[in-house]
Amino acid sequence: MDIQTSKEAKATVVTLSGRMDAVTAPEFETAIKQLIEDGNIVFVVDFAGLDYISSAGLRSLLATAKLLKAKNGQIHFANIVGTVKEVFDISGFGSIFQIHESVATALAQIA
Amino acid sequence: MIKVEHLSKKFGDVTVLNDISTTISKGEVISIIGPSGTGKSTFLRCLNLLEHPSSGSIIIDGVDLLDRRTNVPKIRQKMNMVFQSFNLFAHLTALDNLTLGQIRLLGMGKDEAARKSLDLLRLVGLAEKADAFPDELSGGQKQRVAIARCLAMEPEIILFDEPTSALDPTMVSEVLAVIRRLAKDGMTMLIVTHEMDFARDVSSRVFFMEEGGIYEEGTPQQIFEQPMREKTRAFINRVRSFHCSISSPDYDLYAMNAEIEIFCERQILPKRIGQKLLLLVEELLHLHQPLLSTETVEFKISHSEKHGTLEIVAESSGDEYNPISLTNTPDELGLNIITAMTETINYQRFEGKNRVLLVLGEK
Ligand SMILES: Nc1ncnc2c1ncn2[C@@H]1O[C@H](COP(=O)(O)OP(=O)(O)O)[C@@H](O)[C@H]1O
Repeated sequence: MDIQTSKEAKATVVTLSGRMDAVTAPEFETAIKQLIEDGNIVFVVDFAGLDYISSAGLRSLLATAKLLKAKNGQIHFANIVGTVKEVFDISGFGSIFQIHESVATALAQIA
Repeated sequence: MIKVEHLSKKFGDVTVLNDISTTISKGEVISIIGPSGTGKSTFLRCLNLLEHPSSGSIIIDGVDLLDRRTNVPKIRQKMNMVFQSFNLFAHLTALDNLTLGQIRLLGMGKDEAARKSLDLLRLVGLAEKADAFPDELSGGQKQRVAIARCLAMEPEIILFDEPTSALDPTMVSEVLAVIRRLAKDGMTMLIVTHEMDFARDVSSRVFFMEEGGIYEEGTPQQIFEQPMREKTRAFINRVRSFHCSISSPDYDLYAMNAEIEIFCERQILPKRIGQKLLLLVEELLHLHQPLLSTETVEFKISHSEKHGTLEIVAESSGDEYNPISLTNTPDELGLNIITAMTETINYQRFEGKNRVLLVLGEK
């Protein structure tokens, strides 16, 4: 899995590509933890390039959200499609997380 | 014991079996595999005279089957057959299905027949169902009764015609276990089957049928690992299942994924199905994680073109442990994914192992 980050005015955009599985999910958690330590607490995660997610990935997303909640932070997801969307739907993640069509719409909604 | 020479069978103008010659010795277990429509069933049915060969000869222990003076019922008792569709008598209990032939054909007394039949039902694990009628039994149980009924005729040879093809995938293993046991006891058997792993580990010899004949034969090792002829190779490549055994919590997920991808390519499965397979295997591995530091988990993936399904079996050694029980999983995420993506998910404690079976449709 490849993780790219870029700073926008109101949030840090994290762009994922490849596979988020038992091997790579911990890499995601570590990366976000580092960003939080550096003072970032509002995130938009772009899933457009991600073509696989397993429950290990879902657990990392939940852990990250929990971490951010404790810091009064926010996490938004964008571009959930294909098999990733299928897994999100099965797991009811659509109702737990704030999901947006694109990174732009996500950014527009962040106050 | 069985000597077949130049056996041919035509239906009208269509030649289904073309000049088959082979010899089968006592105690051999022969699996007959091959694509549909290549005459596997017809071959068995000819041996049992359910079909009359067009030419050639079949000699059983020196008796020529095609000699008009041969006692056909006697031959069928000595070389009994188990069918795909069980063929039990619906109006008789399991026990009476067995005793009927013993009394009528073997001339046994009622009490003796009942005693022997009950022993045979016990052998196939169904003594408690002696008084049940066929429609009160599951498919797997019906087939086990049918095997017991076959044994009740004290046969020296058993012919199995796709004994598990009509069964729900969850019931296949109980029937195969009974046949394995007969093999261990030295019964001579010919088995037409689509269960390749079973054929591989139960047989002494494998016949690959194609073009109306025994196109290639050999030990399971020869046929499944080093098939010599082109059509055998093509067939084996298509049906070969994926096996892998994991015995450390630090397993190499990507090495396993790569092998599964090769398997999917060989099976010509759509990419989407391949993705699902990878996901299901990863989730299954996760559910088995607590076992991996002490036990070995065997994974097997097989593709049934016939049923349009993929089967994933994870079998673990050690004490009874149900990896798909909610009490053993920290959260429901993995289990939810598996349940949503499969047609069947079940756990069985079977022959001292924990066995999780998933069945995935190809659509
Ligand atoms: N009673 C029959 N009349 C006409 N054709 C038959 C009959 N039984 C089988 N066949 C034909 O013989 C061929 C071989 O059938 P079968 O022995 O059932 O093949 P397999 O068991 O390898 O699938 C098939 O083409 C089938 O249609």
